[in-house]
Amino acid sequence: MKNLIYSTLFIIGIMMVSPVSAQENLSPERKQAVDSLALEKVRDLSKYITIIGSKDTPWSEANRVIDRAEELFMHGSEIGVSSLLRPQIKNYSIRQYFNRLIRLNYNKVEIEWYKIDYVSDLQRQPDGTYVGVITVFQKFNGYDKEGRLIYHDTTKKDITVYVKKKKTQINGQLINFWDVMLGDMRVKETSK
Amino acid sequence: MPQLILVLFVATLSMGAFTSCKSNKKLAREKEAAAYAAKVEQSKNDLTAMLNGTTSWTLDEQTKRLDTIKSYNIDDQDVKDLIVKVENKLTDAKAAAARKTEEDRLRKEEATKKKAEQARFSNIDRNLESIAKATSYDEANQRIEAALHLFATPEIPVLMIISQAEGFNDYDRPTTISKFLNYLKDRRIYYYRVESVKKDSHGKITELELIKK
Repeated sequence: MKNLIYSTLFIIGIMMVSPVSAQENLSPERKQAVDSLALEKVRDLSKYITIIGSKDTPWSEANRVIDRAEELFMHGSEIGVSSLLRPQIKNYSIRQYFNRLIRLNYNKVEIEWYKIDYVSDLQRQPDGTYVGVITVFQKFNGYDKEGRLIYHDTTKKDITVYVKKKKTQINGQLINFWDVMLGDMRVKETSK
Repeated sequence: MPQLILVLFVATLSMGAFTSCKSNKKLAREKEAAAYAAKVEQSKNDLTAMLNGTTSWTLDEQTKRLDTIKSYNIDDQDVKDLIVKVENKLTDAKAAAARKTEEDRLRKEEATKKKAEQARFSNIDRNLESIAKATSYDEANQRIEAALHLFATPEIPVLMIISQAEGFNDYDRPTTISKFLNYLKDRRIYYYRVESVKKDSHGKITELELIKK
């Protein structure tokens, strides 16, 4: 019963989430905290992609992580996928991308993201949303049963990030929070 | 004839003494007036400096100086006006200083309390950190199971403060303890510390507030 009360209160709180006035101007110190928060979300995604792609991850854990990873994105966002074996870039919905990632036809997969940084700083839009672009470099290694590296590429990707101030009520207390949502992830370059 | 000379001599001496006495009194009066004028001038200067905040005197020293000037009972309208203004200014400054002292005291008290609370929360911090440091999924899951016993339900809210600048608490999107513990397992890093907790009557945590280190 108590579980039900806490869960209900929390769910009601989250359902009451609403955007906060767009008039607020952030001090450099607070803006830096928001910048860092958005970068941290991309680092979270980086870790999730590594976990989902890894063949060492138990199936149940990988599927749980897919749910967490999907929560990072705005509804309707897409992820671009490139390959050195074909010229075109394919764009997938978030769920499709992760479902493909978990089933990659390699015996071992290593995915590492590095040089995660802003290519375009978070800029405040008229509706109060901050929008920026973060670039990442992804190193992908796919191995066969014999442990031979059979595919390798490095891809530069741009991720659009949206940050909006929202408020929610938790246990009767009004909480203002920064909601970071990732948008489309586009392939910029792919190389060996 | 000698008698006449004697009379004239005495009269001359008497007149000289009278003139000298009159001159000394005048000099004394003039000296007194000059001293008073200097006192008025110095009082005006000191009061103006106190009013404009251009003196290096402490608040206590200014109060003493003001009391001294008031004790002169100077009959000068400028001085009287300045005394009223300086009195008001010092009253305000004393109130502000008292407020600041009280605020400093409260801040120190709050910091001491916070430190004591953080020491109280170190057990929770250790639990959360141990999940992030687990070397396998099994180990992490066991630690999550153990840690969940501290909480009323797996769905209790977790608030994460990302900044406390300008007296504002800026939060990340709230999550649940169950999701947060799994997040630690996935990220393998715990870069928070417990800021506050709310507990129910059974001592179980019903709300956890963390702050980014």
